[in-house]
Amino acid sequence: MAGKSGRNISAEPQNSLKNTVFSWEGILVLIFIAVNVFCAFLSPNYKITNILREMPKYLAEIFIMFPMVYVLVMGDIDISVGSIVCLSATLACMASNAGVPLLVVLPLCLAIATICGLINGLILTKFQELPAMIVTLATQIVFRGIAEIALGSGGSISLSSTKDFKILAGKIGPVPYVFILVAIIAVVFALILARTSFGRKLYAIGSNSETARYSGIHVQKIRLIIYTLTGFMAGVCAVFLTSVLYGANTTTGSGFEMDVIAMAVFGGVSTAGGKGKMIGAVISAFIITCLRIGLGLINVNSQIILIILGALLIIAVLLPNIAALINNMKKMAAKRAA
Amino acid sequence: MKKRNLSMILSVVLACSVLGGCGGSDSGAVSSTTSETTAAEEGTGNTEETDDSAGDISGKTFALVTKSAGNPYNEKTAEGFQEVIESAGGTCIVKHPEQATADAQVSVIQSLISQGVDSISIAGNDENALQAALEEAMAAGIKVSCLDSKVNADSRQTFVNQAGNQEIGQALMDAVLDICGGEGQWAILSATSQATNQNAWIEAMKSAMTEEKYAKLELVEVAYGDDEPQKSTDQTQALLEKYPDLKVICAPTTVGINAAAKVLQDKGSSVKLTGLGLPSEMKEYIGDDNEHSCPYMYLWNPIEVGRLGAYTAMALVDESITGAVDDTFTAGDLGDYTIVEAADGGTEIILGAPYKFDSSNIDEWAAIY
Repeated sequence: MAGKSGRNISAEPQNSLKNTVFSWEGILVLIFIAVNVFCAFLSPNYKITNILREMPKYLAEIFIMFPMVYVLVMGDIDISVGSIVCLSATLACMASNAGVPLLVVLPLCLAIATICGLINGLILTKFQELPAMIVTLATQIVFRGIAEIALGSGGSISLSSTKDFKILAGKIGPVPYVFILVAIIAVVFALILARTSFGRKLYAIGSNSETARYSGIHVQKIRLIIYTLTGFMAGVCAVFLTSVLYGANTTTGSGFEMDVIAMAVFGGVSTAGGKGKMIGAVISAFIITCLRIGLGLINVNSQIILIILGALLIIAVLLPNIAALINNMKKMAAKRAA
Repeated sequence: MKKRNLSMILSVVLACSVLGGCGGSDSGAVSSTTSETTAAEEGTGNTEETDDSAGDISGKTFALVTKSAGNPYNEKTAEGFQEVIESAGGTCIVKHPEQATADAQVSVIQSLISQGVDSISIAGNDENALQAALEEAMAAGIKVSCLDSKVNADSRQTFVNQAGNQEIGQALMDAVLDICGGEGQWAILSATSQATNQNAWIEAMKSAMTEEKYAKLELVEVAYGDDEPQKSTDQTQALLEKYPDLKVICAPTTVGINAAAKVLQDKGSSVKLTGLGLPSEMKEYIGDDNEHSCPYMYLWNPIEVGRLGAYTAMALVDESITGAVDDTFTAGDLGDYTIVEAADGGTEIILGAPYKFDSSNIDEWAAIY
């Protein structure tokens, strides 16, 4: 049954090779390969062992990226995650220094972080007219403020005995535990988003939350769950960050939320909601991490690395717009010619 | 089905490229020498070698990690460090962390371990947070020393201290007492709240203040300007508004004293200023009359701190010292130095006493640094 344009639904191939390779995720894979080859060319120190040594610190940030993708897909935003990391890391260090055993400190840290996420979620779902950006901006300041009070005038706390947290920084062969955990959690989060009805609901809420509500999706309940989940993962991040830094201070976690949103956006997740895949975000996270490590190895000024990452992000956001513009122009030209 | 196969193929290609790229044998080696030369600006012509560094130093790589980027004091230190290393024929890498935090310094240290440098000299942003990374560096055979702002005793082999903490504290307290005219309110404008050197000097000032002659002085607040010009300016203005009876502000940080001097002088305030400042930055603010906000201030030569740091690093690398108490070495034209015990259980090397800058010598020194 051909419509006015002469094409019917079976004429558009869905899963063609061209569609997969030239999808944003396919391009990201190519960029990842290119970045690795580039970095290996720059410095002979770009070896697996060295990369794995430097990764744990960056990998801790990636834990926050997983729920952030969910938040962005829903069309919301959460910029308080860095402060949640700071608060939970601070309280975990204080508990550990007070002699609490690791097995109690870990659930405590996760609980505190989850409660912070819960607070975010409760405020946003009870007062729906408040924009998420403003609410999480406020909680960002509040949580960090609480951490600063807890830290006192010194502004920092160090673990008096590092042997507890050192366990978390352990490795199997050259591969750190964090890496394996990130891989497992990445798969879990990706599957939930792509293959379950819960994931589809997130896309629905992001596309049009009113319509989603009319379709019977419990929008506010899902928002609450996702914000609480974000808090929980921030707790996980805090735990692994402490295992690398053996302490916390007033600047712990600052900038994490921006880093993580950058990774997600570069991975194809739209901040307007409803678009993007977890696999894209994961690949872009590794691109950014490898680029940072690689450029650091040839001692490029860290400010220049930030400029490069910022430029990449702008290109990433502009490209779909430019592509759409070119497509439109082509269609206009085709219509005029027809 | 098709898409799943494709994804598998792509993943395998991905994995292979990472492993293959990392092999990087011949082509990698050639490009690495070129990139190291450009990155490290090797000094070629004048390789005057100092006595204790003989042939061992050339070919060794020395890294300096500063507290933050864009800070003239840190850059002067780096200048001195680089000059000494390169004239001895070594390779010098100077790295500034992304932010003035310990987190950023940990990434820098890990990158340096991956590069296999021979020595790391670091000005710590936090006394304890760097311990794990520095212990890993020492375990990898890298000599670790610190300068300007120390890290705890377990994280280092020795510490190059610009002046004894007690001496700095005493000099600053006497300055405050003198400028206050013996009594009154005063405040401290510091840098970041975790910086070891700042806290050490503030502690020294507070313990000096317990003496009888300072009894009429009242320390009203310790404000933190985070070594950022804007924040330091805001903090100074806040101090002026909160304490109308304030007489003196003491800023033991070059960024803080610069910001405060500008605020006080522009406002024509009667509050006076002292502390630690760079002569070149403070030249227009130093004077004895009412128009100038700072009668006098102290510092030491950061270029010499860098140079002494470099000589220490070289002595550690060629193993003429191990960082233990009573080790001695010759620091080129700076003279002979002996390592002494430090208050925190580790060891340190003291450059000398703090130097006073006032209207009589400021012009001369402003031209130098």
